[in-house]
Amino acid sequence: MTRLRAEGLTLGYDDRAVVSGLDVDILDGKVTAIVGANACGKSTLLRGLARLLKPRAGAVHLDGTPMSAMSTVDVAKVLGLLPQSPVAPDGVTVADLVSRGRYPHQGWFRRWTGEDHEAVARALDATGTADLASRPLHQLSGGQRQRVWVAMALAQDTDLLLLDEPTTFLDINHQVELLRLLRTLNRESGRTIVAVLHDLNLASRFCDHIIAMADGRIVAEGAPGEVITAELVGKVFGLACVIVDDPVAGTPIVVPA
Amino acid sequence: MSVATLDVLRVTRRRRSVRAAVVTTVLALLVAALFVLTMMVGSFRLTAGQVIVSVLHLESNPGVDFVVRGLRLPTAGAGLAVGLALGASGTVFQQLLRNPLASPDFVGVTSGASLAAVGGIVFLQAAGLAVCAYALGGALLAALLMYLLAWRDGVSGYRFILIGIGVAAFFDGLVGYVLSRAKLTEARQAMHWLTGSVGQASESELRILLYALPVLLPVAVLLQRHLRALELGDDTARALGTRTELSRAALLATAVLLVALAVAVAGPIVFVALVAGPVANRLLGPATGGIAAAALTGAALLLTADLIAVHLMPAPLPTGVVTGAVGAPYLLWLLATTNRRGAGG
Repeated sequence: MTRLRAEGLTLGYDDRAVVSGLDVDILDGKVTAIVGANACGKSTLLRGLARLLKPRAGAVHLDGTPMSAMSTVDVAKVLGLLPQSPVAPDGVTVADLVSRGRYPHQGWFRRWTGEDHEAVARALDATGTADLASRPLHQLSGGQRQRVWVAMALAQDTDLLLLDEPTTFLDINHQVELLRLLRTLNRESGRTIVAVLHDLNLASRFCDHIIAMADGRIVAEGAPGEVITAELVGKVFGLACVIVDDPVAGTPIVVPA
Repeated sequence: MSVATLDVLRVTRRRRSVRAAVVTTVLALLVAALFVLTMMVGSFRLTAGQVIVSVLHLESNPGVDFVVRGLRLPTAGAGLAVGLALGASGTVFQQLLRNPLASPDFVGVTSGASLAAVGGIVFLQAAGLAVCAYALGGALLAALLMYLLAWRDGVSGYRFILIGIGVAAFFDGLVGYVLSRAKLTEARQAMHWLTGSVGQASESELRILLYALPVLLPVAVLLQRHLRALELGDDTARALGTRTELSRAALLATAVLLVALAVAVAGPIVFVALVAGPVANRLLGPATGGIAAAALTGAALLLTADLIAVHLMPAPLPTGVVTGAVGAPYLLWLLATTNRRGAGG
C-alpha cells in the first residue's frame, strides 16, 4: 500500500464536478508527473491530494488514515505542496521566505531552533540558492525565484512533495534545471515527488511514472515508455503525432505529425 | 548542508533580530518620552521629573497631582492607547489583505463607527459613554457586513478593498444625511466627534480601551505567526498547515476590536492606522511586519500629532486635523507608487 492514495475521489468547484470517482496510488519514492490537456482536472487532483480541496465523495489517505481525520498541521509535516502561483510579500528576502516553510514545525510558543536552522540551510543548499539568501525575492530572475519557492517547500521537510506546474513560466534551460533538481532530491533523499507538468517530453525524460488524465479521469498510467504513445496523445490532447526515441536518454519524444 | 550556508543564515538572522530589538526599544523609549512630554506642556509647565513622580505616585504634591493625574494623564493615556491600537490594527489589516491601502480607515470599519456614533448623537441625544458604545457597535456591524459581502470562498485583497470603499462611501453619505437632519448644537457635537480627538476621551471610555489593550495586543502578536503564513497566499498557507479561515477570522476579529475601541474612544482619527505599519516596516526591514513595532509607531505618531495639534497651533485643534494633513499626501504618494509597480494586489 502506498503512503498517499485516493479512493473514489470526487472533487469540484461550486456545482461542477471536475474529478469524479478517481482511484490513484502515488508510488512511494518515485517522481510522478500528472499530464493532460488544459482543464482536464490535473491541478484539481493535485490540490485534492494536498487537502486544499475538500472531497465531495471518496477520500485521500495518508499513511492509511483519511486526511480529513488528521489535523492539517500533522499532514503538513509529511506532505508539502508548492501551488501554481504562490504570493510573496513585498520586499521579502530569500532567507525570510524559505524560513516560513518551517511553519508546521513551530508551535504557539516554540522559538526558532537549531533544527529549523539546519532545515533551512539544507533547503537553500539543495536548491543552489544559498548565495541569494539575503537578496529580496523580487530582484531575482524567474528561474531563481522558482528555485527559492522549491526551497521553501523543502524547508517544510516533508517526505512527499507535490508541485503544481512548477515549470510553466520558465524558459527551456530553467525548466530542465528545475526538473533535474526535483530528480536529484528524489534520488538523494528518497522523497516522493508529484508534479503537474505540461511538457510531455520533459515529463518522460525526468519522471519515473506518468499519470495521464482526460475529463477528470485517469486514462493511462505507467512508465513513460509505456504510457506515451501516439494513440494516447491523440486521445488526451487531440493531437496527431509520431513518437520517436530521445537520442540522449531513449525516452519517448512527441513530434506533431 | 554546508557550514558556510549555516553561518550565512545565522548572521542574517542575528542581524535581523538585533535590528528588531533595537528598533522596538528605541520606539518604546520614544513613545515613553512623548508620553511624558505630553503631560509636561500646557498653560502650567512641569518638569519631566515632576510628571514621572506624580504618575508613579512616588510623592504627593496636590497641585501637581491635580494637573498631571486629573487633567493631563487621561489625554496622554488616550493618545498612547489609541495610537497603539490603531497601529497594531492597521498593520494586521494590511498584511492580511496584502495591500498597503487596506487600513481600517478605508475598508468601511471606521465609517460604520462614525455613522452609528453620529446617529446616536443626533437622533438619540447620546453623549459620553453611550456615543462610545454606538461607535463600537457600528464598527463591529460594519466589519461583519464586509465579511459577509466580501467573503466568498475566502477573500482576495482587491475584492475586500473595493467593497470596503463602496461600503465606506455609503456610510459616509448616510453620515452627511444624518448631519443635515440635525439641530445646530447636535451637529456641532457630531462634527467634533467626527474629526477625532484624543482630548475628547472621558475616563470611563478610556478605561474600556485600557482593559482591552493588554489582552488584544499580545493576542495580535501571538497570531503573527499565522499572518506570516497567510501572507503567502491561501494555497501555500493551507499547504503549510494553517487553518486559514480560522486564523484569518481570529486576526480580523482582533484587528476590528482594536480599531473599534480606538474609534469609540477618540473618534475617527484618520491615517494613523494606514501609516504606522509601513513606517515600522521601513525601520525593521521589508516584509518583517512586526505588530509590536507598528503599534509603537502608531502611538508615537498619534502623540506627536496631538502635541502639534494642541500646543504648536495658534489655537488648539482636534488631533484628526493634523493626522489628516500629514496623512493625505502620504496616501497620494502610496497610490501613485503602488499603481506604478503594479503590486497593489
